[in-house]
This record gives sequence, structure tokens and C-alpha cells, in this order.
Amino acid sequence: MDANVDLKKSWIMIKHTFPILDNNFNWPYAQTTDAQLFETINLINRFGLNATIKSLIISKFEEHVRKFVVPKFWAFFTTDINVGEGFGNFFKAVDYLYTFFTNHIHLIGNTSLLCNSKPIYNAENATDSLKLIIRATLLSQLPLNYNKIIEEFYETALKLENNDDTACPVCGNEPECSCLIYFHATNSKLVELKLLEPLCGQVLTSLIYGYIESYINKTCKDNFDNSYIDALEKWLDQFIINWLRKVYGCDGSSELQEQEYKQKLTNLLYETYTKVRINQLFNIIIEYPESSPALEDLSKCLPKTDLRPLLTKKLQKAMETRLLHPGVSTPDILTAYVASIRSMRILDPSGLLLDVVTQPMHEYLRSREDTVRCVVSSLTEEGPNDLAEELVKGDAVHVDETAASDEDTENWEAWMPDPVDVDPSKTSNIRRSADIISMLVSVYGSKELFINEYRTLLADRLLSQFSCDTEKEIRYLELLKLRFGDSQLHYCEVMLKDISDSKRINHHIKQDANYTDNSFPISALIVSAQFWPPFKDEQLELHPKVLSQMETFTKSFEALKGNRTLSWKNHLGVVDLEIELKDRVLNLSVTPVHAAILMRFQDQDDWCLDRLSRTLHIPPIILRKKIRFWLSHGLIDEFMKDCFCLVEEHDTNVPNLNADVVLDDYESESVMASTQDQREEELQTFWSYIIGMLMNLDSLPLERIHQMLKMFAFQGPTIECSLQELTQFLDRKVREQKLVFSGGLYKLPKNDML
Amino acid sequence: MKVTIKNWVGVATWRWVANDDNCGICRMPFDGCCPDCKLPGDDCPLVWGQCSHCFHMHCIVKWLQSQQVNQQCPMCRQEWKFNNK
Repeated sequence: MDANVDLKKSWIMIKHTFPILDNNFNWPYAQTTDAQLFETINLINRFGLNATIKSLIISKFEEHVRKFVVPKFWAFFTTDINVGEGFGNFFKAVDYLYTFFTNHIHLIGNTSLLCNSKPIYNAENATDSLKLIIRATLLSQLPLNYNKIIEEFYETALKLENNDDTACPVCGNEPECSCLIYFHATNSKLVELKLLEPLCGQVLTSLIYGYIESYINKTCKDNFDNSYIDALEKWLDQFIINWLRKVYGCDGSSELQEQEYKQKLTNLLYETYTKVRINQLFNIIIEYPESSPALEDLSKCLPKTDLRPLLTKKLQKAMETRLLHPGVSTPDILTAYVASIRSMRILDPSGLLLDVVTQPMHEYLRSREDTVRCVVSSLTEEGPNDLAEELVKGDAVHVDETAASDEDTENWEAWMPDPVDVDPSKTSNIRRSADIISMLVSVYGSKELFINEYRTLLADRLLSQFSCDTEKEIRYLELLKLRFGDSQLHYCEVMLKDISDSKRINHHIKQDANYTDNSFPISALIVSAQFWPPFKDEQLELHPKVLSQMETFTKSFEALKGNRTLSWKNHLGVVDLEIELKDRVLNLSVTPVHAAILMRFQDQDDWCLDRLSRTLHIPPIILRKKIRFWLSHGLIDEFMKDCFCLVEEHDTNVPNLNADVVLDDYESESVMASTQDQREEELQTFWSYIIGMLMNLDSLPLERIHQMLKMFAFQGPTIECSLQELTQFLDRKVREQKLVFSGGLYKLPKNDML
Repeated sequence: MKVTIKNWVGVATWRWVANDDNCGICRMPFDGCCPDCKLPGDDCPLVWGQCSHCFHMHCIVKWLQSQQVNQQCPMCRQEWKFNNK
């Protein structure tokens, strides 16, 4: 009985010491004194109930945490919160939890005394076990979207850190508000509870990632003329890492971890920056010389990030959508091409990237007809120009470097292996010696094509200028020779020499005693036909006065140069005219055709188209086009269809009816035979063979003609003719009624046989 | 109307007055130059023999030097004599 009374009293005492055993438990509660504690423990020991009581306490405690504390903690997160309140809420939640924790340290400490101070749950000490219980329970009840609040909390904190305004972004008060103190307090509490990493780690990381990205985008986007990588690294170290140190600060977590984290963030920084730059790479290339800092940054980042495949893919895509389509003019593409070659050299000295990136450009340029022309004309153009610059710079790299070998004995120590993803079929030397001009020329596969085009353009220029300013041309020619070799440009050299020779010959002839230019002064450009590109063959019968003057000139030439004579190209040249009319005087510089027309009108006031055409040996259609020039000047009028008359005097009262006559751009026409015309001539040589065949064999199918031509006519390497081309040629002959086609056989028409 | 030609710049091609187009030795056009030359015209002139055949001067000189015994025209096998008309 005594024990019974004792039992009840003891239970009250135990409950007093461990208030958690009370059903009406509430905290905070009063601490018991040490004497009371020892008495209670002795009591329990006496009963031998220490294990039971201990487990009872723990289960009661855990239940309390599960049922009251944690739900209350999470309630701060889940109840409806307005934007901006997250900061305070999180602070309150942590504060609440921390108060609970400090309040119960004793309880757990006391409990552990029950079992010879043996810790609970194998934790190091009682505090740790308390933390363990709280943490476990907390995480077992994670609500959805719990991280929203945490994110808001740290986002606000970041803003706070970066705050330049006077007002605090959280409370809107003066700068000396307590928000920052709250923030640090919360962090240190979380660290002490060991909850910072499990609860906020992920949120922090993603927040920092996002922050870095937006920062990079904000600072570097659309600005290519500064290098950012150093500044960014410094920013990362000074701002982000510093801030993180503040957050984790009291943790004292090992240096190693911090190093690791920093490494991660640096990687992220590089990757983000590289991606930003890769997305803008096309613009960077277009702005090339100004954007070289950005390119250098990128070349530093590339080896660290493994983003090369992305780069090539993105760049190729950008090229396709922005450059390689019919809406872009060829000179623009060429400019972009040069810029990309130069920038790729900075990005990747091995030349592999260049190879991959320029491949589509090559293919596209090859499909454009005017590419060669554009390359050549921009090579020789006046004014600042990438290609001309490149030509002058010229580390004379020979275009056909077939003999290039990998074993460079001089520099063997500096040899570097090719990157792993290289195409082994190409030797590295060709790639490394990426000279822009040779690359451009290699677009076409052969330099002959390129040089032919150059020759045609040169001929056009020389014939259209007549100014004999050959100095510049000679300079360019010398530069080109460095690249293409003497033999290729030999023809052009002769052309230029013709110009200067003509000058001298003209001078000589003027001084010749037997030569008189009594009617008008004449001079000539005397060219070596073998070396010039073929001229367009045009008929023109000049005025007898001109012809006789030319005859005199030729005589003098023959006297000057023994055994040589001249054949005039009547339709080429330039004529300065002074036209005296009744009411005005005109000074014009025109082509010989125009001059010839006007001189005929000098003899006779009106001409009909047909007769004029016969006199001048020009087909009426072309003649009509040429007359239009004089129509537009108001010198000639078409008074009835196909009849023209001279207009001596303008009636000032009648408005000029001819003002709106469209003037042909007769000057821009090339005097050189086009490639098509040249081809036509080649085909004409086959025509005689074909006639011969058909005369002997009467009629032949297309294939036989082609075969026989192959056997006899296609002697040179260049003279080839596909079956298709031959069909077109023969069909045209049929249309011209020079052939008859029936039943799959070609025949000569009957009257031709006679 | 009175048209005065102040200046007329024409274009003409020059050629040798010869009875053939190509040199019988090198088979290159007379208006071009022999294989050893770069510039046509004054730098690579033609010469006529008394047999009326003509060649690039450099070609015929080379030919004559290679003939030990008789100096003959390679076309007609007559004795070669320069025609200095």
C-alpha cells in the first residue's frame, strides 16, 4: 500500500520532471532543479523502469513534434500568403522551430540521463538526437511547393545584398532596417538545426544558377567589343561566393566543400556565357573586327565547356537562315565569308571548325553565278575592302600546295596533333594554311576559272577606260602572280603591255611625217588578239571619212612595225563629238556605233530603218536600240514608223516629247564575248564535222553523231560536249532549217545537197 | 548640223602579214610567241627565208643551230637564207 501511494506520488513527480508525459502538455514550461531531477531519476532507477520511461518519453515527444510542431511550422508555408510576405513568414517559421528546439534541449538531455547518458538514436549527444528527430519529422511532412517561400526568402535576400537604393526592398524602410539581421539570424538558426542544406540547398543552387544566367544576359548581351570573362569570374568570386559564404558562414563547413561548390559555379558561369555567345555567334562574326574580344572569350571558354558540337550546329543553322538564301547579295555573302574565316581562326587555330562552318558556304557560293565576278571585282576595287587588303597582306601562299608535307623539320618541337574529331582523310597542313584568297579560289575547284574571269574583267576595264592608267592594274597583277604563279597570269601581263605599247605607238605615229590627221585625230588601242579574251563579233560599217583616217593610221603602223598590219574592231572604242546645231552645241562622248549613226544623218537628213541598217551593216533590231540614244538626246525624231529624221532646232513652245525615252544602259554592256558565246563558237566547229558525216552517211541518229564526234572532234581536253548539249544544238539547227529531223534520224535538207 | 570628231579612240588587233597562221616549227600562232618567249610582237619577231617560208625567229635559229651539215628550210628543204627585203 505504501508503494501504491508512492506510485501515484512518483508518477506526478516524474511528470513534473518530464512534462511531456502529461496529456495536457504545453510549452514553454518551467525547468526543474538539478536536485529534483536526480531525485526523479533515482526513483525511476529504483523501480527499474528507466528503459520503459525513456521510450515512453521519446514516443510522446515524437508524437508531439509530429502532431503539433511540424504542422505549425509548415503552416507558415502553406497558408495563403501574399507576395512579399514570404521573407517574414520564413523567418517566423524558422524562429518558431528554433524556439521549440532550444526549449527542449533539456528534456532530451534529461532523458538521456535515464540510460547512463547513452545517446538516443546513436546520435553523438542529446542535442544531435533532438535535431535528428525534428529533421526527420519535418522532412517526412514536406508540403507541396514548400520551396516557393524559401525561394522568395533568398531572392529577397539577394536583392538586399545587391541593394543600391536607400530604401530596403523588404520593408521599404530606411537602409538601417533589421531585415538583413533577420536574414543572418535565420541562416544561423538553420545551420544550427542542420536544416540549411536539406531544406534550402536545392533552392539556393537553382536560385544562384538563375541569378548567374540573368546577370550574364544582362551584362553581355549584344555587346561584343569587350572581354567579359575575367570580369565575370571576379564577380562570381566577389559577389556570389561571398554571399554564399555569408549564408553558410557559421556552418564552418570545410574549405574543400566550398572549393567544390565554387568549381561548380565557375563551370556553370563558363557554360552559360558560352551559350550566350554561341547564340549570338553569327552577329559576332558579322561585326568581326570590332567583336574580336567576344571571340577571344569564346575561344577561352570552348575548351572548358565541351560545347563545340552545339556551336557548329547553331552557327550552321544561323548561316542557313540568315545568309545563304537568295535574298542576300553575293558581295554581302563574300564579306560574311571573309569575316567568318578570320573569326574562326581566332576561335580555333587548328582550322577544323573553319572547315566545318565554311562547308555550306562553299557549296552555296558555288551555286551562284556571279561569285567569281564578285570576288575578282572586289579584289581589284578601289577603296577599303577586305579581299583587297588580304591580297596586299599576302603571305604569298601558293594556291596549289600539293607538295605540302607534314614533316616540317624546322619546327618539329612545336607540332600539335589534330583534334580528335578531325576527318583523317585531310592533312592538317592544308587546313592550317587557311589563306582567305586561296580558300575563295578553291571554292571553284580550279584557279583557271578564276583567272579567266579576272582576265575578262581586266579586258573590260581596260577597254572601257582608255585612260591608260595601268599602274594600279600592274600592281594587282603582281600581287596575283604571287599567289597564282607567273604562267597563269601571263596573258594578263601581255594585255597590260599592249596598253602601254599602244600609247608609245600612237605617239610615234603622231610624229610620223607621212601621217596627217587632217580630218580628225585618231588613236588606237592595239591589242594582241591571241592574248585577249575573244571580242564580241559585231559588224559595223563606219563612215568613209573615218575609214580613210583609219587607213592612214594603219599605213603609218605598217611603216613603223615591219610586216605587221592592223585589223580594226570598228564597234569598239570611244569617240568625243562636238555637235553643232542651229540653236545649241553638244559635247558628247559616245561609242563608235552612235557616232556612225549620227554621221550618216549629217550626210542626209532622213533615213528609214531598213536602209540605214543596210548602210551600217547592223541588224535593224539592234540599230533601233542604238538610235534610241539619239532620240533621248532630242537630236533625231521618228516622224513615222521606222523613219527617222534629224531635228535641227527645237521649237521651244513644244515640250520635249522625247524626255521620257528610256535610255539603255549601253555602257554597262561587256564588250567581251560571254562564256556562252565562246561555247557557241566551239560548237560551230563541230558543225562542219556533222555536215561531213551526214553528207557521207545520209542520215544518222543522235547517239551515232555523238559517238563519231567523240572519236574525231573532241581532241582537246576542254572540248567536250554532252549528249544533252548536242541535242539542243542540233534542235536549233533543225529550227534554222539547216537540218531535217524525222523518225529519230537527222538528215541534211535536200536543197542543201544541191 | 555639223558633227566634229574631236578625238576617236579605236581598238585594233595587230597581226603579222604572213602566208600562214602558225609557225611551222613550234605550231604556235605567229601572232602569239614561240614557246620560249613571253611577249609577242617586237620581242618575238618573225623572219622570212628566201624560199618565202616564215617562222618565229627564235624557232628557226634554234633549228639552224641543230643542223650540222646543211642549213635547210624545214618546210621545203631548200638551203635557208634570210630574206632581208
